[in-house]
Amino acid sequence: MLDNEPDFSDVEGGSSSTAPKPAGASTYTVVKGDSLSKIAKQIYGDAQQWKQIYEANKDVIKNPDQIYPGQVLRIP
Amino acid sequence: MPRHSWTLVVLGLGTATLGACKKAPPPPPPSEVSTPPQPPPPPPFAVKTIDVGKGITADKHVATPTTTFGVRDTIFVSVLTDGAAPSKTISAKWTFQTGKVVQEQNETIAPTGPAATEFHISKKTPWPAGKYKVEVIVDGSSAGSKDFEIKK
Repeated sequence: MLDNEPDFSDVEGGSSSTAPKPAGASTYTVVKGDSLSKIAKQIYGDAQQWKQIYEANKDVIKNPDQIYPGQVLRIP
Repeated sequence: MPRHSWTLVVLGLGTATLGACKKAPPPPPPSEVSTPPQPPPPPPFAVKTIDVGKGITADKHVATPTTTFGVRDTIFVSVLTDGAAPSKTISAKWTFQTGKVVQEQNETIAPTGPAATEFHISKKTPWPAGKYKVEVIVDGSSAGSKDFEIKK
């Protein structure tokens, strides 16, 4: 059966706000091409901090080398 | 000492004693401390405006709202809110005309007053032409949506 749905797998996105963030409650939505170290580099400026993100999201990340677009990660 | 003199002394002592027993007058009431008037409490958190456009300003407002985009455009939605809350999660759910979810994003904020929150999506390959919708969700409840169209 043909799937006529268009492909949105290469959609990228982001968000920001003028409002302050609650302490310890920020989140990040994974986009295609992301890795934990890439996210850590983007947020903390240090890719080595990926373990912090992994530790805070062990309930949703089974393998730190496999995260998926659309996953919402807690940023400690 | 003559008798009348003793009487005067006793009377004088009595008066002095009575005077000493008199209760001290109550202290004057403390002068009213002038406290600065309290600012009115901020209004409850609410979404005021949802705008869609091709770009945003530094204060996260859509520069020129539009509902028609080209296949290479980045699409922005700006959610203007008012009110304070310790934590609010604003989500933008982008869907294609078929109902397929293009992307869903979240931004958790602790607003203290008027605020603007933006979400944006772009695509490495051209957008499929058609009708799209972005729904704004606050803490799991829909707060409004905007329809837009991408044309070739």
